[in-house]
Amino acid sequence: MTYKDEMTPKERMQAILQGKAVDRLLVSPLILNFASRSLNMTVREFCTSGKNMGNANIACFKQYRHDIVYIFSTTSTLAEAMGTKMHFPEDDAPQVETPFIQTREDLKKLKPVNPEKDGRLPVYLDAVKRCVDVIGKEVFIVPVIGAPFTTSAALRGTETFIKELYTDPELVHTLMKVTTQSVKNLIDAYVKAGGVPVTVEPVATGSMISEKHFREFVLPYLKEVYSHIHSYNLPGVLHICGKTKRVIQCMAESGADILSIDNIDLLEAKELVGGKVCLMGNVSPADGMLKGNPEIITTMVKECIAKASDNHRGYIVATGCEVPIKTPNENMVAFLEAGRQFARLPISLN
Amino acid sequence: MQAEKQDILNRLAQAVINMDITRANEAAAEVIRCKIDPYEAIMDGLAKGMDKVNELFENEEYFVPEILLCADAMYAGIEVLRPYLPKEGTWNKKKVVIGVVKGDTHDIGKNLVKIMLDNAGFEMHDLGRNVPYAKFIDTAGELKADLVCLSTLMTTTMDGMQVIIEDLKKAGITSRVMVGGGPISPGFAKNIGADGYAKNAAEAVRVAKSLFQDVHLPLTFKTPEFVSVRKNHGGVR
Repeated sequence: MTYKDEMTPKERMQAILQGKAVDRLLVSPLILNFASRSLNMTVREFCTSGKNMGNANIACFKQYRHDIVYIFSTTSTLAEAMGTKMHFPEDDAPQVETPFIQTREDLKKLKPVNPEKDGRLPVYLDAVKRCVDVIGKEVFIVPVIGAPFTTSAALRGTETFIKELYTDPELVHTLMKVTTQSVKNLIDAYVKAGGVPVTVEPVATGSMISEKHFREFVLPYLKEVYSHIHSYNLPGVLHICGKTKRVIQCMAESGADILSIDNIDLLEAKELVGGKVCLMGNVSPADGMLKGNPEIITTMVKECIAKASDNHRGYIVATGCEVPIKTPNENMVAFLEAGRQFARLPISLN
Repeated sequence: MQAEKQDILNRLAQAVINMDITRANEAAAEVIRCKIDPYEAIMDGLAKGMDKVNELFENEEYFVPEILLCADAMYAGIEVLRPYLPKEGTWNKKKVVIGVVKGDTHDIGKNLVKIMLDNAGFEMHDLGRNVPYAKFIDTAGELKADLVCLSTLMTTTMDGMQVIIEDLKKAGITSRVMVGGGPISPGFAKNIGADGYAKNAAEAVRVAKSLFQDVHLPLTFKTPEFVSVRKNHGGVR
């Protein structure tokens, strides 16, 4: 049986942001490179052309009617625009090949991005504009930006960069300042294009660094980013995957209004930061979306809703991280159906 | 003399724990000057420090940057001692082939596992990242590896692990296989026929050891091609 929506995704989001009544919670699987499947494109074709990236996301939205349309290929796109060399596999997300900052000397070459010109940022901007034109009345178009720490790591090489938290903190801060400015430039460009930019900071996951380092090297710059986003009257969204129990309180202090989380129990997250932020997550991309089946996914969605739908500052049904590109169509349909059925308000899980 | 020796060993361990390459070098030089057995200096000094680091990691007091820097200090100390290590040989070590499967270039997790298994007495053969499936099969066959460790952070590349496990079997290679990485769950590991799964580098040591617990290995005496971190007792202590 199919559950009909009563509002468009955009009406729903707007009502939630304004504190008005809605038909159900937002249901937003992190459909990123997976959108390429809707037009049978390879990921390389998808992420190297604004036309392809836009059209695939439009087709994907028409197919699934998910609540948020993300524009994304890799967390390193901003670093790429600043000089890091990427490798583009035929049918997978681009990966860092050669970080830009090889020596301290290279810092002199580093400057904040010009989103209209640098790297593939024009591809993203083009995709955003196309989506805004065609489906922007019905759904928010949300380009995803690699936040300062993640972008800095991709500019320097992650392993070298995180060691420098100890061995060269000055270099780390120098990088963070320039990347923060780049993030802000990109936010400006996306907003101008009609998008609602959000940020991802996976390198600052609790699987990687300590809370102490998060406070010293990540938090001040995130605060700057969200205060910039707030200057446009837009909500700040922070996604960090991996384990986040150790850093989630810092995440909630960043000024972000919505935390998208992966490997942490939603009950625990709710208890730690639910009074401060809206939570978003965390159906398993691997065990659920990719390897699971409709029944397993329905159970997982229900479990998330049971745990977090009463969160004080709200809850968005989502996957913990990117929906794998090889996720079977029936699994995606199952996720959205379960969301439409069980996230209807008032919540009833039977 | 004994007190001085103990003091030097403690300094080696502390240098590793404090991520201090300079002090690791200095203490290792003291080992040579005081004619302390360099093997003992590695086992009861540097490696002991690394054991403590592993413990701190498990207790979430140390994270990735700390482990990488502690390992740098440990390897710096070993470099100083290496020329003085006796050439007479050692117990045959368990051979481990490790790498990140093709399509994925994220290798920090793999590097942590390599460091910790090396410290635990395994002989590590690192194939690096984005490693073609056949390379795992060929290397495991050539070395008669005891264990193959496969890592990936991406959902797009996790299925490669299953291919490798099947190809190892087809090639008649009996190496055990341990898998790990962001998207990998114990259930997935079991489904693809892996012998072991570890959620992090500290657990990898326990799992790898447990895989060989009941196996009685011939304690072959041979000249080592290179000396890794620790004198070995068949990978199991």
